[in-house]
Amino acid sequence: MVRGSKEVLQKAAKTLTDILVCPLSKQPLRYCEESNSLISDAIGVAFPIKNGVPCLVPTDGKILEEEDASKHDSDTNLSALNEESHGRSA
Amino acid sequence: MRGAASLWRKQPLPFACHSRTFVSDSTSKLRIFDRQRKRAQRDRAAWSTPLHDPLLHSVAQNLLDRLQDCKKTFPTALCLGGALQPITRSLSAPPANGGVEKLIVMDASYDMVQACRNAYPASPNNAVQKEFLVADEEFLPIKESSVDLVVSCLGLHWTNDLPGAMIQSRLALKPDGLFLAAILGGETLKELRIACTLAQMEREGGISPRVSPLAQACLIVRDAGNLLTRAGFTLPGVDVDEYIVKYESALELIEHLRAMGETNALSQMNNILKRDTALATAAIYDSMFSSEDGTVPATFQVIYMTGWREHPSQQKAKRRGSATISFKDIQKQFGSQS
Repeated sequence: MVRGSKEVLQKAAKTLTDILVCPLSKQPLRYCEESNSLISDAIGVAFPIKNGVPCLVPTDGKILEEEDASKHDSDTNLSALNEESHGRSA
Repeated sequence: MRGAASLWRKQPLPFACHSRTFVSDSTSKLRIFDRQRKRAQRDRAAWSTPLHDPLLHSVAQNLLDRLQDCKKTFPTALCLGGALQPITRSLSAPPANGGVEKLIVMDASYDMVQACRNAYPASPNNAVQKEFLVADEEFLPIKESSVDLVVSCLGLHWTNDLPGAMIQSRLALKPDGLFLAAILGGETLKELRIACTLAQMEREGGISPRVSPLAQACLIVRDAGNLLTRAGFTLPGVDVDEYIVKYESALELIEHLRAMGETNALSQMNNILKRDTALATAAIYDSMFSSEDGTVPATFQVIYMTGWREHPSQQKAKRRGSATISFKDIQKQFGSQS
């Protein structure tokens, strides 16, 4: 029955990701297994999952490098995020 | 006379640097509270908060009592920041919890969420499924129309944009979903505010906002009602409760505020608190407000807000001028009977 309980766990994680959206653009999130993060394709930001808890505070997000094209086409809220992350890296 | 004169003596006010930061901040967006600082304070509170804080517990109980007045059940509930543990405890016990089957616990502080998770581990025989999430109330990452109940217990008074946060909560609710919130009102900690002001005037010759953020811009009941209507909730309900907590001294009060994560997070606050000002505050507090049994009281004013997301089944006021019977006729009818 180990397999069954694992399925239940996966299902639970899935029901949560069904409800979650990107905090800034309110667009759906995509789960990335490789980096264990939730990715918002609309603004090109990855939100980490720490110890099974998704962290969706805007300042926790990391701007994805490779998605240059999709970076600038989102709403105004993104500029705030950009500013903050530039401030941190500087 | 001499004492009074020294109380009012003028010194250069330490305001110059604050006004500059305020200007630079206000260019982007009005920022009253430092959310990052609040997050750090709540991280600290996660380690020092007792499992059963009586104040948080009674506020949470009072807030969730409203669920028993509803015939509706709420299968999916979202707990938005604030006092997580009392809410989680009450909502996960099957009797009288509003029929919650799935509870999403959210807070901006990771440590707070983790502490709540450790206190209520998932067990297969527990009927209520719990999910944990770190997110900011001002940027709610919940899909539209996906939860039946949003509960916020003493968390929303730290948001910079309270109407915005409430609008986002309303959007997250399904039609006919319920929004319940408890926030601290303007009368909260009035004793401490008076003591702080007097001590600062006496020792530093000027005042800086040390306690006032808890005052929440003097939010009063009428404002809370307006807030609910402005955020688009129907059937709004507001009521106010005052709790007087007795402490052995003013220092215990500060310890309690720290353990609750309710200390000052004003973004333009003065970061330096001089030792003798702090001690003077404690002394003034004790001498002005201590009661006969040697304890010092502190007031906590809690505003409870209830609102529903719009649904056709809800009762509505009729259009203005659509009445077919005059009030005069009603008065004639019933006035003649009595």
